[in-house]
Amino acid sequence: MSLLQEEREIILGNEYVDAFDFDEVAAFVRGAGKDLFISRHFARRDKMLVQPRGGFPTYQQQYALYEYFVEAGVDVLPLTIDSNTRLNDYATAKKMLRLSEENDMDMLNGYPLVTHGYRTTRKMITHFRKPVSLRHGTPDARLLIETAIASGIFEIEGGPITYLLPYSKNFPLDKAFLYWKYVERVCAAYSTLNEPINRESFGPLTATLVPPSITIVIQLLEMLLSLEEGVTSFSVSFAQQGSMIQDIVTGAVLRKLARHYAHQAGCADAAIHLVYHQWMGAFPTNMNYADQLINLATVIAALVGADKIITKTRQEATGIPTREANAKTVADTQYCLRILSGLPHVVDATEEEILTAEVTAIMAAVFNDPADTLWRKVFNCIKRGIIDVPFSPHIINRNEMITIRDAHKNIRIIERGNVPIPDRCYAYERGQCDLTRDTTTIVNNIIRDIGIMQ
Amino acid sequence: MKVVTGVVGNDIHVVANRLIDLALRARGYEVFNLGVNTHLQEFFDAVVETGAQVLMISSLNGEAEGWGREVRLLRSQYTNLDDLIMMIGGNLVVGSGNGEDIAARYRNYGFDIACHQVDLNTGLDMLAALLRERGIQ
Repeated sequence: MSLLQEEREIILGNEYVDAFDFDEVAAFVRGAGKDLFISRHFARRDKMLVQPRGGFPTYQQQYALYEYFVEAGVDVLPLTIDSNTRLNDYATAKKMLRLSEENDMDMLNGYPLVTHGYRTTRKMITHFRKPVSLRHGTPDARLLIETAIASGIFEIEGGPITYLLPYSKNFPLDKAFLYWKYVERVCAAYSTLNEPINRESFGPLTATLVPPSITIVIQLLEMLLSLEEGVTSFSVSFAQQGSMIQDIVTGAVLRKLARHYAHQAGCADAAIHLVYHQWMGAFPTNMNYADQLINLATVIAALVGADKIITKTRQEATGIPTREANAKTVADTQYCLRILSGLPHVVDATEEEILTAEVTAIMAAVFNDPADTLWRKVFNCIKRGIIDVPFSPHIINRNEMITIRDAHKNIRIIERGNVPIPDRCYAYERGQCDLTRDTTTIVNNIIRDIGIMQ
Repeated sequence: MKVVTGVVGNDIHVVANRLIDLALRARGYEVFNLGVNTHLQEFFDAVVETGAQVLMISSLNGEAEGWGREVRLLRSQYTNLDDLIMMIGGNLVVGSGNGEDIAARYRNYGFDIACHQVDLNTGLDMLAALLRERGIQ
């Protein structure tokens, strides 16, 4: 038996799992309908796929949510997981699910997949015959993704960096790399049975003034960590940043460099997709304004040429959205995409050149780290501040980089910390901003820059 | 002037914490930032360890009310904290309430300055005024 299979048996021997049948699950994946594989939908390339967010505690609520989504014309269904399951606290998830079922009140902020189990969940997934994407935020997702794939969920979001630095203060980063290595290997193994399992990285990170160079570097590194374990279908992603041209440039550079580094890693055959998140920062409380913001994001996604868009709702500022609000966004976004036509091809060569130079300089610094494996190189670079994510709560993050918006709302680096931004790019970024102000004014500007959409 | 700061309890709201750090440095303080999800005891331990004169706690999710009454008891278990200036700011209650009533309640808990939904720079001006008043700065 391989080491991986030994580890899988330990993970699936968990007391909260009801007798995991490896052979039956493999047979299910082998015979699963092609409709369930998002990789297949991507390959068709006929439209931008629309995927909302959403997860409810009980089976019935989740089923009802999916009915609303299908009615609204959804392309990809989400399965968002509750926070207890994300933190591997299956005992609490189980208790809260029972309370939710008995009291008609939601005691969980998502669907406790491990508690429901794959036999139950699979019935729902195979009923709707739409691809489902697993949305969570779990540093140790080993049991969760096994349960997801066994249920018919063939897209797994997340990664060791993007699911840790925005969400955790002190979960050990080195452990996260090893736990995600397991995820990649299991996805790669199942990918040989039918269409590939798609992996997707979470580009929004902290969704707070993260400069595109940092976003792209982390997307590329999670992609490479995934491809080197045998994954063949991967989505890089980023969120609306606040400036249309910066989004267009980011999309172009991310797409170009993803292909470049995949090729360099000997994975030129891998299918790489681009995913765009509607605004992930603070939303306006006025729901009509929120609708405008959502619509604007859809237009930008079209200009970026995204393969998939992940939607928000008009209730974003007020709490967990209702299924009606969620379905409305799906219908609105589909309508907007349907009427968008004759889009111009916008290119900003100067910005693209600067951003490309920044990303390649940081990537070179990662590859030049003396560690023996890629994950250790990345680990060291985060520790040393070569990669620095603004507003990460994690203790390993350097927090030396400072970013603000320029007059056109582009996110600019005014303090690079230990990130190897080349001098001429650094001078260019700073040159776009008014740096004559004192720090107190800059702090006030940062507060304003975070809240631009409110 | 040394300041220990951080977000108390099970509160991961990091944005304000980073801004407080920046703003304090801009005003010339030496900052020891414990970050988010910090327990009350860790704050006092850090004050002892660094010899800080100011402890500035922030809270956004409103849970501060829950442990506020433990502050005096815990502080009394440490020696040499008599001159420590304690400040708390952010969103100090779950739901809404009158800012002045809330501030008075927190002064009873042992805080010298309590800012409920007060602008960052206004709060830092209040700290500077108190330090002047006590002849510290």
